[in-house]
Amino acid sequence: MEAHTIVLGVIGSDCHAVGNKILEAFFSDRGFRVINLGVMVSQDEFIDAAIETGAAAILVSSLYGHGEIDCAGFRDRCIERGVGDIILYVGGNLVIGKHDPAEVETLYRSMGYDRIFGPDADLDAVADLLACDCAAKAVPTGTSR
Amino acid sequence: MTFHDAPLSRHDFTAQQSDVRASWPTGADVDFAESIRFHQGRDASLNMASVLRQADARGAVLIQPRAGVALLSEHIRLLTFLQDHCDLLPTTIDAYTRQNRYEEAQKGVERSREAGHSLLNGFPAVNHGVAGCREVVESLSKPVQVRHGTPDARLLAEITLAAGFSSYEGGGVSYNIPYTKDVPLERSLRNWQYVDRLVGMYEDEGVRINREPFGPLSGTLVPPCISHTVGLIEGLLALQQGVRSITLGYGQAGSYVQDIAALQSLRDLGHEFFTNAGHTDYELTTVFHQWMGGFPESEARAFGVIAWGATAAALARATKVIVKTPHEAMGIPTMEANRQGLEATRQVINMLSDQPPLDTPEIQAEADRIKSEVRAIMTRVAELGSGSLVDGTVRAFEAGVIDVPFAPSKHNRGKLLPVRDLDGAVRIFEPGNVPFPAEVMEFHRARVADRARHENRPPCFQMVIDDIYAVSKGNLVGRPR
Repeated sequence: MEAHTIVLGVIGSDCHAVGNKILEAFFSDRGFRVINLGVMVSQDEFIDAAIETGAAAILVSSLYGHGEIDCAGFRDRCIERGVGDIILYVGGNLVIGKHDPAEVETLYRSMGYDRIFGPDADLDAVADLLACDCAAKAVPTGTSR
Repeated sequence: MTFHDAPLSRHDFTAQQSDVRASWPTGADVDFAESIRFHQGRDASLNMASVLRQADARGAVLIQPRAGVALLSEHIRLLTFLQDHCDLLPTTIDAYTRQNRYEEAQKGVERSREAGHSLLNGFPAVNHGVAGCREVVESLSKPVQVRHGTPDARLLAEITLAAGFSSYEGGGVSYNIPYTKDVPLERSLRNWQYVDRLVGMYEDEGVRINREPFGPLSGTLVPPCISHTVGLIEGLLALQQGVRSITLGYGQAGSYVQDIAALQSLRDLGHEFFTNAGHTDYELTTVFHQWMGGFPESEARAFGVIAWGATAAALARATKVIVKTPHEAMGIPTMEANRQGLEATRQVINMLSDQPPLDTPEIQAEADRIKSEVRAIMTRVAELGSGSLVDGTVRAFEAGVIDVPFAPSKHNRGKLLPVRDLDGAVRIFEPGNVPFPAEVMEFHRARVADRARHENRPPCFQMVIDDIYAVSKGNLVGRPR
């Protein structure tokens, strides 16, 4: 089976590099083809990389608190750029202050993210979900999903 | 070893200054003569350099939080609340300002006003301008420091120092390599020479501004010799530009032997390198950062980590401690959580203040090892620079002679790989091109091999990852699952 391509990066002016390096190593190890854009990545840079590489998913990280500003409108931008159906994951410390994870999930779901993860996400579980989501997306158009 | 980097000439400084002040409208409000008068009219208890000097003389350990929000009134409210629970105040700058993205910071201010709470992770001081920053400083009864992560911090310095802040964190390496992706090191070093010269100009007028190189760097398993080398370089560069009050920093590794040895050796090396470079008229203090890596989710466990950091700082008599909060795992804390971190820290420091600092043969051996590592790296930096510390530093990073683990910058080699030993100290697994003395490298290899044998696995990247997550999962050393 061909490896699913995923685009990875830390959004906005965020320079938290450690987790990003670990995610790259982890998802590569789990058999994904990882395009890692590193830290301080704009929405358009994520989308450019996804288009260039035919990626199935974009994995956005945000650790520094500006996620609410940086991540807003990402799905709309994907639609404008012609990749509206791409899988969008987001994870990290996504808001300022300590909030109920359910509220954070609702907020980011309304921005168009498919799955939302906190800072303590179990990476193995994330990789399993991602593999399923990518496989479901790979089903040719016309077949029921 | 001596270096011949010249102080920025008045001509070069002035040539830059008009561009710097013109880079955002609030820059026009800086009035140097007025700000000198303002600083001179302030009580010594509001000056960071003065308060640190006195604390150091009596062996006190001061505490300082991190804090900053988008709106002026909210920021003043936050610091006014915190000042009763700490000795020194911060103003943490938001991440857009750190990248000189003042328009985005402005949008963040407006959106925060609409949302009724801060959407920025710090205080956008440039946008608030001299008058706004002055209001902050005048509302408070403790010295206030600017804490950020800005590779080009010239305008931020012009505005905040003019407003009355009396300490400025950062440096051309420590606010580039861990904080950016692609800013050339020479550019950030030159921009920080401007900041240091500006501080030197305040000094020339009799106003002492404290400078603090950012010690923890990437905050992730950084060997003390690496962060010490960067701190010494930034200290020397600051002294060259006329700075006189320097606080060298170090981020907690978690091993008390290594942490106490690191703080001791940092102070010794500071005096050694500063005096050897011909500087005599300076004040040197130290800052210890509580654990900068990942924190446990559980607030109770987080207090354990905070208290352990307070313990190491008190046993090593750091001049001040930068305090974490029980919300660290979740990001930016509430003001109440911030207060709790300060109170937990204060409790430990008070209980240790009457007890003597800890010193053991193991600590001495560790301090000696750190010193020999730093001397070897600095010797190579001096050789590479042929008299220029800026050139030596740029070339040292190009060659991987200085190498910061887990830093985002492409101007950092990233070949050095650290890992903990069985006792929890940070050791060198892969030295990259860092010129460790042969016998010291032998020691590191032997310690890493001991752990590998004990865990029945070869030294590997997974071992390093296990170490990175260990504290958040309740341990120091990342044992195999």
